[in-house]
Amino acid sequence: MNLVRAEAQRLAARRFVQLMVLLLLAAFAVTAATTLAGSHRPTGAELAAAQREAAAERRDMELEHDRCLARDRGEAWAHESSYYLPADCSEIDPALRNRLPVAADYLSGVFTFTQQAEPLLYFLVAFLMLFGFLVGASYIGADLNSGGVVNLLLWRPRRLTVLGAKLGTLLGAVLVLSVLASLAYLVTFWVIARVGGYPGPTDAAFWAGLAERWGRGVGLVLLATAIGFAIATMGRHTAAALGAVAAYLVVWELGGRIVLQILEVTRPDQLLLSSYVAAWISKEVRFYDSSACTDVYYSYCDGTYLLTWQPALAVLLLLTAGLTATAFALFRRRDLI
Amino acid sequence: MSGVIEIEGLRKTFHSLRHGRRIAVDGFDLLVEAGQVHGFLGPNGSGKTTTLRALLGLVRADAGRMRVLGADAPEHLPRVAGRVGAIVESPQFFGNFTAYRTLRLLAVAGGVPVRRVDEVLEQVGLGDRGHERVKGYSLGMKQRLAVASALLKRPELLILDEPANGLDPAGIREMRDLTRALAGNGVTVLVSSHILAEIELICDHVTIISRGRRVAAGRVSEVLAGYDRDECLVRADDLPRAEELLRAAGLAVTVAADHLLVGGVPDPALVSRTLGEQGVWVRELAPVRPDLESVFLELTGAGPHPALPRQVDHAPADPAAAPVIDLDVRGVEA
Repeated sequence: MNLVRAEAQRLAARRFVQLMVLLLLAAFAVTAATTLAGSHRPTGAELAAAQREAAAERRDMELEHDRCLARDRGEAWAHESSYYLPADCSEIDPALRNRLPVAADYLSGVFTFTQQAEPLLYFLVAFLMLFGFLVGASYIGADLNSGGVVNLLLWRPRRLTVLGAKLGTLLGAVLVLSVLASLAYLVTFWVIARVGGYPGPTDAAFWAGLAERWGRGVGLVLLATAIGFAIATMGRHTAAALGAVAAYLVVWELGGRIVLQILEVTRPDQLLLSSYVAAWISKEVRFYDSSACTDVYYSYCDGTYLLTWQPALAVLLLLTAGLTATAFALFRRRDLI
Repeated sequence: MSGVIEIEGLRKTFHSLRHGRRIAVDGFDLLVEAGQVHGFLGPNGSGKTTTLRALLGLVRADAGRMRVLGADAPEHLPRVAGRVGAIVESPQFFGNFTAYRTLRLLAVAGGVPVRRVDEVLEQVGLGDRGHERVKGYSLGMKQRLAVASALLKRPELLILDEPANGLDPAGIREMRDLTRALAGNGVTVLVSSHILAEIELICDHVTIISRGRRVAAGRVSEVLAGYDRDECLVRADDLPRAEELLRAAGLAVTVAADHLLVGGVPDPALVSRTLGEQGVWVRELAPVRPDLESVFLELTGAGPHPALPRQVDHAPADPAAAPVIDLDVRGVEA
């Protein structure tokens, strides 16, 4: 417990951590200020007009669906309109849509919380991932490089305990910061929407969906933190983590993607980590495999495939666990000179 | 073996792609008993720091047995770590932390009362500057901070690797007084240093390492006595005549510009008597005793070569053939 307390104090006292928190606050302030400046509270007339337009759009969608079903039943009125109707009427069934038009879709220059909360949350998650990775890498990298770990080991000569305490403290601190930052972030934008925008229809389903995405995002933040920590431990330096990630992105995500396409490898996106990150955060992602329909000329071919969050989580957890276990194993045996 | 520090047959080889295989420590033995102030000497690259790092669990030994305060190291080191204070080579600290914060974090991690931080800062002479950032410290001040970190837990055993590094003469004297005071309070001290005169002043026992092997060990006085050639420096009014008379008396004489060096003289009275009886009057007669520096240079082969610059870790003689002096070291085989 003493070790964790000391590590928490050491982490909080680090300049780099303080700088990153300041950067987070600055990005937060700029986003909030520009949102507030670019939004206005809709008047009653604006809101009523938007609600009418949304209702009309929903009616049109239902009408089209009804016409499609009427065509299938062979009713004549279905052919009165020249609009295209799909062969499968479920494709335009409003009940099967992810979302139906709402008033916020027709409000111009108005910050609508229910519409913007998700992209804002993704921005925060991206920043927190960067924060976690950099702080995780520099926390252990600088400690290894400066002899701080050696000083500590002279006091507590249990390598795995010391490294575990550092990683645990780091993950705990990043989790606490993520929770606090997310709460402050969402509350601020909620207040902006109430004061200078439009909150939108927030029901239990909306909050549950937002909470789920937030949970997934925070999970990614913790994984990125552990990966930064693990690579810097293996490379004994902060730069090792930065270099490894930069090399991976350039060599594999960019170069490898091109090579895989040239070689016409089946389902190349399955070989890229970014696909799993996207699948985890979005619950599922559909990719197109150009090699799937090369032999099909005259019939319909669906060349897409789905990547769901379960295998994505498994891949991300395995990667993080593998890197972390390797880092601990190396640190346990390493000569500290 | 029974001692505060016991090392037997320590062996460590470093492997690197660039430099290949390098034997750092090659069957080294060390025994430090309770209450000793034990000097640990060796040229650069001789294996001193590797030995200390292995003892403290920072480097994995390839072979050998080590015990610290009765606990096998490094396996059971955590059991006794609270009683061992150590600094290893040039200690480094976060530049942006103050000395106070640096020590406070160590105190919290080690379960030491935080009030002890002020005490040790005062003890090493950093009381007034403990709240300044370490990056503004001189090398000597960083060294004091390192010693403070070692003293924080009131150790029974203090291991100091080059504690005088970067200290000015006043700082060296303070460090000497501090070491003596600690020893006076029953703390066993193992101190490695290049400043041989310093070791001679503060240490009662010494171990000398060269190319990873022990070449001498025992009480300082006894190690020095092993190299005492019973020499005398002689100045007389008629130096050529004195040389002639001393040679005639069967003594080994080396002639220098203004004096003679006479060997094999256990009692200097022999010289004054031999010369006085023949009417040659002695102006100066002084026994020449070996100091630690001359013994160290002779044992490690680290003295200056007339034609070649000495390379780090190079001793001209085959270490296997190096003389091994082992005095008063119970239970340790040379």
